[in-house]
Amino acid sequence: MLEIKNVHAGYGKLKILRGINLSVPKGKIIALLGGNGTGKSTLLKTISGLLPLMEGSIEFDGQILDKKKPHEIVKAGLVQVTQSKESYPAMTVEENLMVGSYVRNDRHGVQQDLEKIYEFFPILKTRRKTLSGTLSGGEVQMLVIGRGLMANPKMLMLDEPSAALAPKVVLEIFSNIYKISQTGVTILIVEQNVRMALLLAEYGYIIRDGVIMLEGKSDNLIHDSSVRESFLGGTVADTSRELSA
Amino acid sequence: MEFDFNSLFAFIIFGVTIGVVYGMVALGISLIYSGLDIVHFAHGEIYMFGAFFGLVLAKDMSIPYPAALIGAMILAGLMGMLIERVFYRRLTRSGGGYTVAGMGMIICGFGMSVALMNVAFLIWGADAEPFSIDLGMPLQIADIYIPQSYLLTAVVSFALMGLLHFFLKYTKIGLAVRAVAQNKDIAYLMGINVPVFISLIFGLACALAAAAGVLIGPMQSVQVEMGYLMLMKAFAAAVVGGFGSLPGALLGGILVGIFENLGAAYISPSHKDIYAFLLLILVLMIRPSGLFGIEAKVKA
Repeated sequence: MLEIKNVHAGYGKLKILRGINLSVPKGKIIALLGGNGTGKSTLLKTISGLLPLMEGSIEFDGQILDKKKPHEIVKAGLVQVTQSKESYPAMTVEENLMVGSYVRNDRHGVQQDLEKIYEFFPILKTRRKTLSGTLSGGEVQMLVIGRGLMANPKMLMLDEPSAALAPKVVLEIFSNIYKISQTGVTILIVEQNVRMALLLAEYGYIIRDGVIMLEGKSDNLIHDSSVRESFLGGTVADTSRELSA
Repeated sequence: MEFDFNSLFAFIIFGVTIGVVYGMVALGISLIYSGLDIVHFAHGEIYMFGAFFGLVLAKDMSIPYPAALIGAMILAGLMGMLIERVFYRRLTRSGGGYTVAGMGMIICGFGMSVALMNVAFLIWGADAEPFSIDLGMPLQIADIYIPQSYLLTAVVSFALMGLLHFFLKYTKIGLAVRAVAQNKDIAYLMGINVPVFISLIFGLACALAAAAGVLIGPMQSVQVEMGYLMLMKAFAAAVVGGFGSLPGALLGGILVGIFENLGAAYISPSHKDIYAFLLLILVLMIRPSGLFGIEAKVKA
């Protein structure tokens, strides 16, 4: 569904990504993993059209996205959900969700999807008239995922949904992401929480210094010695121990 | 001497009337500030142009006053969109607010202010033009006579602001405007064509300033230098209300209007223009973020 070929991109003259190749098949969950400052978010911004492409090409659902503007890419059905805590704090929960449906003109479908999202995340329904600035971190994460879904996307790109959240909340969010993928939405998940992401995804890419260092099936990556060395250090191991408890 | 409550009441009514007009210009400044992260220093001149547009439409072309008001708003809105597209966009694209580019934007705003004033001078000359419209006899409530133009101003201003509120709160486009004002990157990612909306915000703000100009016209007169003092007072109103807060801008405007009228009536009429800034200083001393400062932090 999404084909990224030899993508070079960055900020101004500063090149961050140096030849990324990545492919996300339809209906699957794919993980992009890496630490801080490795180019994960830069890649997402480039795919979404917020950053210009210096070289290479991006194809989504049969369309070339290279020169497309961000709003055209959303209309094509590719929606990015940025890192948590980026809701519209001065708007209510429901207004936030409605912003997500901006590209759509089917009033009836929007209303149906709103109900569907409230079913996914019941907490959002109970708080739908409150300002989203007062939500907890986990609730905001649910809200921004819900907002992304309101665009009725073919594919969702999630930027670090586990960031700054308690392990229990992370588990809840991830199980919801799995449910979303079961409804037919293709998902690219970008994470630092390598173990959790690999449990969810079928296939993973590991990015470092703007290049894909390693890729493979999740099972293989989890047991790869270099992945263990680079990522599965103290904190991640602790997290997973806590989760299995 | 017995205190005359009737005249106090009259001064307050006049204060509110002029205040909502300040509020409208302040609202525009606040809208632009939330939408573009810049303080628009040429907004007073947009107000002045709006007043002249209204004058030309109503007097030279004999269009009825209400139609002239709408016409002036549309013309000024288009003019604002043109100015934003041609001059401001390259500067705002590289960031506003407290960045170096934001500084450039402030200077550009001042430059635009001088340029617009000179353009107006070339077209209409330096003389103050009377903008008289016949609205009939003043309205009498108890012992107070209120000129119809004041009444009209208050009604039209409140109606326009109510309309703006409804637009921002209950329409899809209004929701998108708020989304752009609060966070442009996310608005982009939600499929909103942000540059178009920035243009729209600018046009709306300029249309409001024009409405203020056409409403003030019949009370005072129309001349090329009228923008400067209006900008300063609207600015004071926006800061008093809390910069970036839309209800704050309206309330700040009304407060400035009342304060100014009471000061002129009971302290000294020759220093009428000082009181707005006195209020500004007082509010900033007690609440540096303005009366609605908390809302200002999250914008619009």
